[in-house]
Amino acid sequence: MLEIKDLSFAYKDDKIINDLNLYIELNEFIAIIGPNGSGKSTLIKNLSNIIKPDKGSIYLNYKNLNDLSAQDLAKKLSVVPQDTKIDFDFTVYDLIMMGRNAYQNRWGKITEKDREIVTEVMNLTDTLQFKDRSLMNLSGGERQRVIIARALAQEPEVLLLDEPTSSLDINYQGEIFDLLSYLNNKKNITIIIVSHDLNLASQYCNKLVLLNEGQIYSIGNAEEVLTKENIKEVYDAEVTIKENMISGRPYVVLIPNKHKFNKKDKADFNLHLICGGGSAQNIINKLYNLNINITSGVLNQGDSDWQLLKSYGCEVSEIEPFAYIKEEDLDYNKKLIRNANVILVADLPFGHGNIANLKQLLEYKNKKIYLYAKRNIEDRDYTNGKAKSIWSELITRDNVSSFTQIDNLIEDIKRNFNL
Amino acid sequence: MGNKKSYFIFLFSFIALFITFLLSLMIGSTPIPIRSTIDSLFSFDGELTRFSVIIRQIRLPRVILSFLVGSALAIAGAVFQGIIRNPMVDPYIVGISAGAGTAATIAIIFNMTWTLLYFNTIPLFAFVGAIITVIIVYNISKVGNKIPVMNFLLAGVATGFILDAIRSFLMVTGTNDMQQVVFWLMGSLAGTSWQDIRIVLPYYFIGVIPILFYIKDLNIILLGEDNAQTLGVEVEKVKKVLITSATLITAAVVSVSGSIGFIGLVMPHMARMLIGPDHRKLIPFAAILGGIFLMLSDMLARSLMPPLEIPVGIITAIAGGPYFIYLLRKNKSGGW
Repeated sequence: MLEIKDLSFAYKDDKIINDLNLYIELNEFIAIIGPNGSGKSTLIKNLSNIIKPDKGSIYLNYKNLNDLSAQDLAKKLSVVPQDTKIDFDFTVYDLIMMGRNAYQNRWGKITEKDREIVTEVMNLTDTLQFKDRSLMNLSGGERQRVIIARALAQEPEVLLLDEPTSSLDINYQGEIFDLLSYLNNKKNITIIIVSHDLNLASQYCNKLVLLNEGQIYSIGNAEEVLTKENIKEVYDAEVTIKENMISGRPYVVLIPNKHKFNKKDKADFNLHLICGGGSAQNIINKLYNLNINITSGVLNQGDSDWQLLKSYGCEVSEIEPFAYIKEEDLDYNKKLIRNANVILVADLPFGHGNIANLKQLLEYKNKKIYLYAKRNIEDRDYTNGKAKSIWSELITRDNVSSFTQIDNLIEDIKRNFNL
Repeated sequence: MGNKKSYFIFLFSFIALFITFLLSLMIGSTPIPIRSTIDSLFSFDGELTRFSVIIRQIRLPRVILSFLVGSALAIAGAVFQGIIRNPMVDPYIVGISAGAGTAATIAIIFNMTWTLLYFNTIPLFAFVGAIITVIIVYNISKVGNKIPVMNFLLAGVATGFILDAIRSFLMVTGTNDMQQVVFWLMGSLAGTSWQDIRIVLPYYFIGVIPILFYIKDLNIILLGEDNAQTLGVEVEKVKKVLITSATLITAAVVSVSGSIGFIGLVMPHMARMLIGPDHRKLIPFAAILGGIFLMLSDMLARSLMPPLEIPVGIITAIAGGPYFIYLLRKNKSGGW
């Protein structure tokens, strides 16, 4: 176990870590997350005893790190640094063997045990195949595996990693995290990883530590730490938290915000969107960037369009999941439509559940209605022609125009309403 | 680098060393046949001939000193390049030659060239000057308890400039024996006696033994100081020991030979290209290469234009400079 007590550290007068306390139990898989400058890397350097705390102490198995020699510490704790570039022509095998340094005598005599362990970690990290190659000729992902192999050759109880995947392709990122997961589960190595990738951390780690200004802002499992509010507060970023369909863990999605650099007040323009079933995900983003008020309905709660609209803070008239839309549900929706300058109908499929959404439009003979029809109405009519007949009637009216390209449709709105 | 290949490289370099040794004894202003050379080396009861006097009293100490100086500079160069992790570093970069040169110039210009006990004062001045300079550089670059290598390097370069300026000022204003100063600054092994070897040898061993002791740690420091620390190396301690040792041997050889350039820069580089970056092989191999190179250079220095002696520093620079440029052109990409 690893215990950090009242840790403070400053570079010159710049306080990086401020009275931090953290208790890490054996066999945890912890991600340290936080914005740039929050003290993540400094914490890792303190934990690996590369720099010494100004105040406070760190204990590994109840021993103060300051009382351990570099050699003793290297047998318990190993580090995969952020920058793994090495300018020397060592072979992969020689480099991994350097992980055995703490166990070897003065002149680096290699024992049978050293050889066994190095072979084992090379098998584990799948690096045996290029053991005689020079480190300089490896790709980023291969080199990262070699450095992890070197760290494992130290037979550590605790493995610290400082952003090991930040410069890797997505397949290598997964590979590294899968390996860490395996080491954590099967080899009982405690893993502490600094990561910029909130979603990888969420998916793989069983505890997250969110740092802000050198202190722990939030600690716990992914559900507890990765909340919209925490991320807004610490990163100053608008996100929406979804659920990763595969792992069931929280999944952070950044909300694009083009207005950040083009500040103007929201236009006094309301658009009512009729959508559902994920038909309008990309339309919603495009509309959001027009900086207008969007309302929507009627939608079933939990629908993916509903989720996205809610996460953008739009007003939505909603009904229970999987419920059919009934006459009385339309009251609130009517209020929204009354305020809308324009109604936009996405190319959603119509069934008996949501046909009311389309039918209600017949009442509005003077309001501008846009129909988006990338897909033919016939192909998404599951009401035995009912939807098609309403659609056909709508399309003949003067206040209705139909587009097959969303960009043309939006251009037309912009032109007609001076947006 | 396979062990088999290293083995052949070492075998070959020992043979080359032996041949160079014999050639250096034979060739000079008076050529001596191989038979007489070997006889003079190994017959101790025979009468002193003209050849055996030249070999034993003049050439043998000079050849041995060439080896010591060449190997010491190459070892120190490899150590500094390793610690600083930069191939452009030589043992003089931290101000050793500037300190030694300035002190030697002071001794020559102010006529303080008497003999103290059995030491000549010029080497003594040079040695003390070198050590004091490095102590100053060391303290300038110190931050807390650490010696950041970039600080060390820059402090060495800056201090070197200041000392060189002082030396130039003394040379311009002084009147005395300018040729002796110039000769010393270019580096020369002329007039070597067994006395010089007695001066250098103790420091040579006092310096080389700790280097061998920490040779494995030096390999790991190549990966970066933070990495080395987490792999179990007490980086600051090792750095201090290695800097002190490399300074000591450099100062000792500079004090008797003047600042002979390029060996400390080029030989470790060449050795690294041939045998790889593992210091356990690199340092011994660089030492042999440096020894051979200076023996050959000195042989040329004293036999090219007899009876005139060319300062050996000129030969090493002329031979080493183009080779270094070739290395740079060839090895533009990749590591070193």
